[in-house]
Amino acid sequence: MSEDISIDLAAPGSERVAEGELPFETIATGVVFGEGPVWDKRNKIFYFSDICGNTIYKWTPGVGKEVVLTPTDKANGMCFDLEGRLLVAGWGGRTVWRFEKDGSLKTLASHYQGKKINSPNDIVVRNDGQIYFTDSPGGMLNVGMVGHDLQKYLDIQGVYRIANDGTLHLVTDDFVYPNGLCFSPDEKVLYVNCSRERVIRAYDVNEDGSCGPGRLFYKYTHPDHGNPDGLKCDVEGNVYCTGPGGVWVHKPDGSVLLRLKLKGHATNIGFGDDDWCSLYITMIGSVTRTRLKIPGVAAR
Amino acid sequence: MTWTFDLVAGPFKGRTGGLAWDGSGMLCSVVLEERVIKFDPKTGSADNFRRYTGRTNGISVAADGSVFAAQEGGRRVIQFCPDGSTAPTNDLLDGKHHNQPVDVTVDSKGRVWIADPWNLQTPYGPAIYPFLEHASVLRLERDERRAWKLRRVTSDTRGPRAVLLSADEKTLYVADGDMDKDGGPCTLRAYPVQADGSVGPVQVLHTFAAGQRGIEGMCLDSQGNIVACTGWKKNGPGPMIMVFSPAGAVVASVAAPADMPMRCAFGDDGLGSLYVTTGEGQLFRCKDSGHKGAKKA
Repeated sequence: MSEDISIDLAAPGSERVAEGELPFETIATGVVFGEGPVWDKRNKIFYFSDICGNTIYKWTPGVGKEVVLTPTDKANGMCFDLEGRLLVAGWGGRTVWRFEKDGSLKTLASHYQGKKINSPNDIVVRNDGQIYFTDSPGGMLNVGMVGHDLQKYLDIQGVYRIANDGTLHLVTDDFVYPNGLCFSPDEKVLYVNCSRERVIRAYDVNEDGSCGPGRLFYKYTHPDHGNPDGLKCDVEGNVYCTGPGGVWVHKPDGSVLLRLKLKGHATNIGFGDDDWCSLYITMIGSVTRTRLKIPGVAAR
Repeated sequence: MTWTFDLVAGPFKGRTGGLAWDGSGMLCSVVLEERVIKFDPKTGSADNFRRYTGRTNGISVAADGSVFAAQEGGRRVIQFCPDGSTAPTNDLLDGKHHNQPVDVTVDSKGRVWIADPWNLQTPYGPAIYPFLEHASVLRLERDERRAWKLRRVTSDTRGPRAVLLSADEKTLYVADGDMDKDGGPCTLRAYPVQADGSVGPVQVLHTFAAGQRGIEGMCLDSQGNIVACTGWKKNGPGPMIMVFSPAGAVVASVAAPADMPMRCAFGDDGLGSLYVTTGEGQLFRCKDSGHKGAKKA
């Protein structure tokens, strides 16, 4: 078995996701804290951020990594919108922003109820164009990860929705440290994890994009190092979460299907390549990828 | 000799830390509650001065009314600005993140002197950046473009816990020792501050017995004496407030009001009261110490 990646905690049915020896390819090094993994299906390019390195990169097969933007005010999670524009959870800069087609940067959210938001952590777009992001407090505190104003003004750590008219709506204030978020394949459920309470919660999504009350999907009690961070779904509704010791895969009922045990510290994950069966894993120190058998939910 | 200590705020969750008189009230770090309170001697109330401070310990008021704070948990010194924002400073010493600052003092030139020891408590965020190979007094100063430069001041300290300047700012006092790491012995040290800002040869003013908790916090009285929080119930003479002359003679030594006295500062009218924080999370005030605080340069 590879030291870098192996399958453990496997339940019946796990072979549908992965079995045997898995490939493990390091695609980028020279990264302090990799994050924001997202596959650009239009151009067949992989994007990621380095929070501490203050840089957004693109990686092209056969070419390698190239700087897209630096400094980024410690950019974190990223995704594409329906028009193929790259959206950024602007952690250290404490805004959500977008790369416009002309290359300029446009701020999409900075304040809630008149107060500066915390530090946007991760971001996802619904099929109607609405943008959801988590607003954890780490970008005001973590060593090497802060911007220019370290004062927390809001009393909540919200999950927010930017409606198509640009208004900002609170989805939930259930969280101590909301981090990864993703939709189920049918977008009827929004999953959000909490790095402090080590849980994933599930929210039923209403027609207008607002969400019902949360329910506990899974609570991590495993002693391995690491807390819930990145979160993605595959097309069969399994939920992938970077957590203690690696990437955990949960069935839609929350139970553990398997874990991709990793030697390194994974921060976030993104499915990519034409068949959406490659799992890109951003890590402390590098970006890697492996291959799985069920395609991930396609990035916009 | 007996000093009367009155409990004026707390006990809070965990230890209380840094103290600074801002002209109308005593600012006090409630370290683990991640806030700084302001005790108003006129009303006796202790309201929030600043919330969401992270684990902040030592604090010092600058001439412009902003407050510098040693944010242990974030491994940085931060500045609470009058507009309510909080600015970072420069947390890189020659490109490397410094340790976990526990005390700061701002001088008349606006430079910020920092006690930067190691600490057992885990910093915020993923453990990416190793600690420095030394635990020193550092100093922040602005360059010609107003950007913060960080420089190392001491090269012979093992774990500085408190920094203090004499009234003429020609002497730097450092409380040194690392009880977590090696058990001491802890010392009170004095360094001449030279014209270029560096320090000259150390004079050790006091050496505590091995295993005895040294000075965690200190302040200056109007006679130039050093008032210091020291000791614990665990061993030795117990928790104490000690007063040292500038030459290191012990001028006074009284029982502290609670275990693990942390930091002290003079406040109230004429700086006539001594405030003390503790490991048990209280804020005490003593009106009859017979000492008054030194006015800031």
